Amino acid sequence: MNNAGEVNEGDVILKLENIQMAFGKVQALNGVDLEVRKGEIHSIIGPNGAGKTVMMNCINGLYHPQKGNIYYKGERINRLSPHKRAELGIGRTFQKLELYGGMTVLDNIRMGSHIHLKSGILSGSIYAGKTKKEEIEDREFIEEEIIDLLEIESIRDQVAHMLPYGLQKRVELGRALALRPEVILLDEPMAGLNLEEVEDMARFILDINEEKLWKVTCVLVEHDMGVVMDISHRVVVLDFGNMITDGLPEEVSKNPQVVKAYLGEEDLYITRR
Amino acid sequence: MTRVWMPCGHYHQDYARDQGWWQTPVIKGKMILLLLVVFVGFPLFLDEYWLSVAIMIGYTALGALGVQLLIGYAGLITLGHAAFIAVGAYTSTILILRFPWPEFFVNWGLAYPISIVIAAIVAGLWSVLFGLPSARVKGFYLILTTMAAQFITVDFILTQYVSQIGGRGQAFSLPPGTIKIGPWFIDSDVKVYLLMIILLTLMIMLMANLLRTRVGRAWVAIRDNDIAAETLGINIVWYKLLNFFVAGFIGGIAGAFWIANLAALSPEHFPWFLSLWLVGVILIGGAGIDGAIFGSIFMVVVMELLQIAAIPLSDYWPKLMINFAFIKEMAFGLAICAFLIYEPRGLSYRWWQAKNYFNLWPFSY
Repeated sequence: MNNAGEVNEGDVILKLENIQMAFGKVQALNGVDLEVRKGEIHSIIGPNGAGKTVMMNCINGLYHPQKGNIYYKGERINRLSPHKRAELGIGRTFQKLELYGGMTVLDNIRMGSHIHLKSGILSGSIYAGKTKKEEIEDREFIEEEIIDLLEIESIRDQVAHMLPYGLQKRVELGRALALRPEVILLDEPMAGLNLEEVEDMARFILDINEEKLWKVTCVLVEHDMGVVMDISHRVVVLDFGNMITDGLPEEVSKNPQVVKAYLGEEDLYITRR
Repeated sequence: MTRVWMPCGHYHQDYARDQGWWQTPVIKGKMILLLLVVFVGFPLFLDEYWLSVAIMIGYTALGALGVQLLIGYAGLITLGHAAFIAVGAYTSTILILRFPWPEFFVNWGLAYPISIVIAAIVAGLWSVLFGLPSARVKGFYLILTTMAAQFITVDFILTQYVSQIGGRGQAFSLPPGTIKIGPWFIDSDVKVYLLMIILLTLMIMLMANLLRTRVGRAWVAIRDNDIAAETLGINIVWYKLLNFFVAGFIGGIAGAFWIANLAALSPEHFPWFLSLWLVGVILIGGAGIDGAIFGSIFMVVVMELLQIAAIPLSDYWPKLMINFAFIKEMAFGLAICAFLIYEPRGLSYRWWQAKNYFNLWPFSY
């Protein structure tokens, strides 16, 4: 959606180079490299404590790695603060829900399009002309593209913290979409959902990845191997901060190291099919 | 942020209408009626005593709006708002009395209106100065830094230095005729009341508009979840400071208005208790702009009723009226305790419930 620095389909849009991140003596990430190409669904898997969320936080700017470089569209973004990275087009959802509990669903999602609106305190306090127009236009976009896509029309006037977990996850995805990101970091979007909701969520992820309007590159952290192996284009495996492998889903699921570290000897990972 | 349920059978057909303040003709009619009552009815029919009560309500509400913006919408807990009201009042007074206004400005009665605006901006900037720690601290620690604002501003700067330039010991006094807006001298309760209601309405409009645009959503986002807000492109520090600015701005308006009522000014008008009082007002009032208004009405009217009740009793306890200030504080404490226990969501929630009951009638959902 953002036009700064054109990146074509298939080019590297996000690149991590030798990322080192330690919390005291704990080496959370130990020289991780990652290349995410535009248009991909790139999954990160690994056992608990492998450093998946830390990696998300590094890309996102919540953590600043001690060593290594992060490039977004060829530009080094190591020192940028999270809100600057959001402006560049990196969206984010969270593992533990981080919705704005007191706001309605609609306002939650509208808040996501913050960077696309322009009104300040002066124009905002008068609320006429341009401000009004951009608010209405933004709302129209959200109602017709995001709320319609995620099928949450019926709950849009409800307060977010009152909703069931599965719907909250959906709202969070909607909020990240309102940012109109080019890369979206999805931190366990399926955790805690039932089978039906997982299927819905997988469909939404495929939709935003493939639909012409969105074409969002997804970086997905997920434990549900069935989903990961089905929808990802590439899979990275982390274990205790070390990158084990990066490859196509079929290769990864057969890699003996991965099987040992994470998947287990048997085909346990196809739990939900 | 909770929406009002529409009456049975009402639906909107475009987004613009759904964004509006007054969403149905009935609500519009009611609000216009309310405006007529407060703008025309009250000045015509209230006697001096109740007008002064209304003025007090308006002053409290102007102060409470700023506190509501900080605490209620951005989660920045403040216990020093009286400082910004004081800065507004002093800036306005000093501008009126000491600034070499050209003859033209004074004759046309522009000095006071201009001083209100400048006072509001100065109070806003002063508020930003003491909002700077909010970049680093939140919650309980922020309370302490805002209390510092109170003590540094009122007890130190204003008492020790600024009030000395007013002469007459500690107080400034504004001679009759200095407070003039256009052709009108603000010299009677009715005129003060009208000034109050105009300023209050403007501030409510300003705040209501801000809260339905991008800036307002950013503030609520910071209150609810600052990490998520940051990852969605909000510059947290900037928006917190903006919030302090607007809150201080409204506080400055309150202060600049207050000198029109008192025609005198001393640091004792802005004790730390006023800051606390304003927080109590929004605790009792509840969420939203209407919370600030309801809280102000409740607090001021209850205190006045207490005073009325105390007058006949003073025959039996002669010291009652002398000690009334303490009784007032006790009632304040009791009211807050009672509300926190029995209605923690405040008067505005009760109002919302009542309104929805009638909107949804005869169904309960």
